[in-house]
Order: sequence, then structure tokens, then C-alpha cells
Amino acid sequence: MKMLIPGGEPFFYLGGEPGCLLIHGFPGAPEEMRWLGQYLAAQGITSLGVRLFGHGTRPSDLLRARKEDWQADVEGGLACLQGCTEKQVAIGLSMGGMLAMDLAANVPLTGLVVMSTPWVLPPPADLLQPFLPVLERVWRYRTPNEPSDWIDKQAEALNVNYPVQPLHAVGQLLELLRLVKTELGQIKCPAHLIYSEGDPVAPPPHGQSYLEQLGSDQKELTRISGSGHNIVRDAAREIVFQTVVQFVHSLVGDPA
Amino acid sequence: MPGGEPFFFPGNGTGCLLAHGFTAAPQEVRELGEFLARAGYSVLGVRLAGHGTRWQDLSRTRWTDWLASLEDGYYLLREGCDQVVLLGSSTGGDLSLILAAQLPVAGVVTMSTPFQLPPITALKLLYPILKPVSIILPMLKKGPPDWRDPAAAQTRVQYNCYPLRAVRQFGLMLEAMRSLLGDVRVPTLLMHSRQDGFIPYEDMRRLQGALVNSSVTTYSVEESNHIITCDISRHAVFDQALRFVQGLDEV
Repeated sequence: MKMLIPGGEPFFYLGGEPGCLLIHGFPGAPEEMRWLGQYLAAQGITSLGVRLFGHGTRPSDLLRARKEDWQADVEGGLACLQGCTEKQVAIGLSMGGMLAMDLAANVPLTGLVVMSTPWVLPPPADLLQPFLPVLERVWRYRTPNEPSDWIDKQAEALNVNYPVQPLHAVGQLLELLRLVKTELGQIKCPAHLIYSEGDPVAPPPHGQSYLEQLGSDQKELTRISGSGHNIVRDAAREIVFQTVVQFVHSLVGDPA
Repeated sequence: MPGGEPFFFPGNGTGCLLAHGFTAAPQEVRELGEFLARAGYSVLGVRLAGHGTRWQDLSRTRWTDWLASLEDGYYLLREGCDQVVLLGSSTGGDLSLILAAQLPVAGVVTMSTPFQLPPITALKLLYPILKPVSIILPMLKKGPPDWRDPAAAQTRVQYNCYPLRAVRQFGLMLEAMRSLLGDVRVPTLLMHSRQDGFIPYEDMRRLQGALVNSSVTTYSVEESNHIITCDISRHAVFDQALRFVQGLDEV
């Protein structure tokens, strides 16, 4: 018996301060964040990539998922990092960014990185939202039919992602998004947002909306180009990694 | 809930992966984890999906979600360790045996681990119809704790009920485990209290009989009730666990 699919395994690279909690997107898997984790590890930074409930196994597991499960997984990852580091930074991609912000609003963190997190979902999810609780009972899975936004086709082929989106889980994502928007003012830690011009889901204006409402004194938005939505995997990932490391080092004092 | 958090203590190249039992929380194995960490080992105590939050969350889970949580812990721990030892309390022991049948681990310690459904008449009668029954009766309240160490019972973190949907999953997990025991090929240490009022002591003998390809050691706890990681004889249990893990190091 083995539940996790290849790429569904979470990871934990032990190193120095701070401890970075890496949170993947929907309906992705820890593999999505692994290259960033390895990059951080090479800089001597501790990183833990969590697996969110229902991800990295079978799409049908997401039919039973609730946002509370994902929040608990993120809290669990933080608890493990607290066992070996003094300071922790939450770093999330897309829906992972929502969970990182939710965490930052509720527990003391040293820093926060939000990448490609949408402010509103593109159609049809936004239009269907009020009907989702009923609709999900008859229409369980949506097969995305949007044209690919990836620049690096090789990286796209390596990406671990469910080919379908359970509508129930989309509803949970929307609930999470609604919750996070009520908490933005409570976030006080330094925050860095990274958004790509080539992202059809969450282009930089989405990041701008978050930036304006975050309660943090120290907050910044970096715009990149040359990547689609998945900026930790696509062509311009090195720029993203460097931006993250620079921010993380600034939080604990750059040893160099 | 407080005590519902998983825990990690960094240490040497032998990783101890600790799993709590059904309706419990990582707190159940935390003291054991602290003990093993003091001995120098790397320790990670997982939170099984649906546990440590609200009982309604457990109601939605399947046993395969619990297994996936344990697998998560295995991968989190393995990165920094040369070998991983699984230690599980009650249901955590069943999940550890299932994982050991599949992934390369150095050894398994089970504590008060069931081989079959406990001999409770109501459970025997209800089990085949648990799914429909759970619609009307989603959970059953637990009785008062019957511990030899009442002070330790006070600090226990758990749900105060059994969600019936999850009880069915518990039964399905036991079925799967029994079919996989022959695939466990690493050394195992089974511990069980003679005074266990919930999962009979004989279940340890049944597990031992079915682990045909494992070199099995057993240890009989004399005084505790079911939760031997927290009840009065816990220090003897910790010592046995440590001795077993030390023995694996010397191989």
C-alpha cells in the first residue's frame, strides 16, 4: 500500500535560519516547490515543502477536502520547522499563497512570500461560485481547457498536477480566498509578492491589490516576465529563486 | 487543538517516525519522542489526517488519508536520515506495519496495536451497517478514561467520541493490514499491556503469528491500560523502544 504518487512526497531540507515553509498550489503537489527548496538549501536555508490534503494522491481525495484540512497541514509544517529553527517564513504559490497569508494573519512569522496568487478567479469559476454547492454534486470534475501558458515546455512536462479540478475543491479554494481577504490587515510581517506579466490567471495587478491591503509596514511587489502562472517552475524561475533568497536573507541578516 | 500539532526534533542519522492512534493526537507519542530525541535520534511525530482538530474532520477521512499522513512523515524525515524506524501507538502501529510492507524502513515498533476489531458486542452488531447508521448517528461518546495514572489521563488530547464513519474506515484498515503482514521483512518489536481494557493482549500474539517474515520481539507491559505511551508503565515502554532502536543501529 502506498498512497503518494511520484512528486507527491513532501520534503524537508535541514539547514540554517530561517525555516522556510513552502506551500504548493491547487491542484498541485510538493514537487512544484522542490526546486525552490533545493535552491534555498544550497544557500544553507532550511526548507520544508508540505503536502496539502487531497493533493499528490488521487483527484478523488480532493472531493472530501475542506480548506480547514489545508490550513491544518500548513500549521503542521510550521510546527515541524519550529522544532529546528528560531524564525519561520511562509512561501506560497497561487493557492499556497492564500494559505501563507492566512497563516501570517494568525501566527507570528518572520516573513511572507506570495507568488501568483489570484485576487479573483478567472471565468468560469467566479461566475459559478454561488451555484457551486449544488453544481458540484452533479458536475464533479472540471477538465481545464485553457491554452497552456508555460514558456518552458520541458518544465511543463515535468510538472506534477492533477489533470482535473474537483469542483468541490474549487469551492473550498474560493472560500479560502474570501477568508484571506478579510485577514489582510492583520498581517504585520515583512511581505514580498512576486507576479509574472505572462500569467493569465494572476498577472501583477492582482499582486497590486494584495499589496495595497496588507497590514505590513515592509511590503514589496516584484514583477517578472518570461513565465506563465507557475513561476517557481517556468522559464524565469531563477529570477524568482534569487528574489526569494534575497528577501529571506534580508530578514535574518545576510551572512555575506 | 493544542497538542494536535506534529513535532520534529533534529538529531542523528537514525530517524524515528512516531504515529498516534485513532481519535488521538500527536501528544500521545510526544513524551516518547522527547525521550528518543534526548538519546540523540531524529524524531518526527506526524498528525494523521482528520486528527487533532475537530471530530467532524475525522468523519470525512478514509484510512488511506491516515496512511498518506504517515507516508508524508516518512519522506520529511528520510531526507536528513540514513534510516527510518517506525513507532506507532495503537492504530498508528497498524499504519506503520502497512507502510513497512511497502517502503524501506529499518524496523517497526507497535504499541497496543489491534489485529482485529475489539470484541465489543455493540461494535460487532453495528459494524456491517455502520455506513447507513452513521447518517442518523454520526458519533458515539466515549466512556470515562480508565487509566492507572489518572494524572497522565488529565493531559490527554483526543476527541471525546468515535465518529462512526471513521470506525468503519478503522475496520477496513485492519483488513488491509492483515493481508500485508507477510510482506513485513524488517525486525519488529510488539508491546502490549496485559491489562489493556480496549484492545485485548492476545492481539499482540495474533500479530506475532502473522508476521511470518519478520524477526519479532515482544514485550508485555504489566500495569498500564491501552495508552501505554502515556499511562503508568510508560518509562518501561520508552526503555524497550530505545533498546530496540539501538539494536538496529548496531546491525
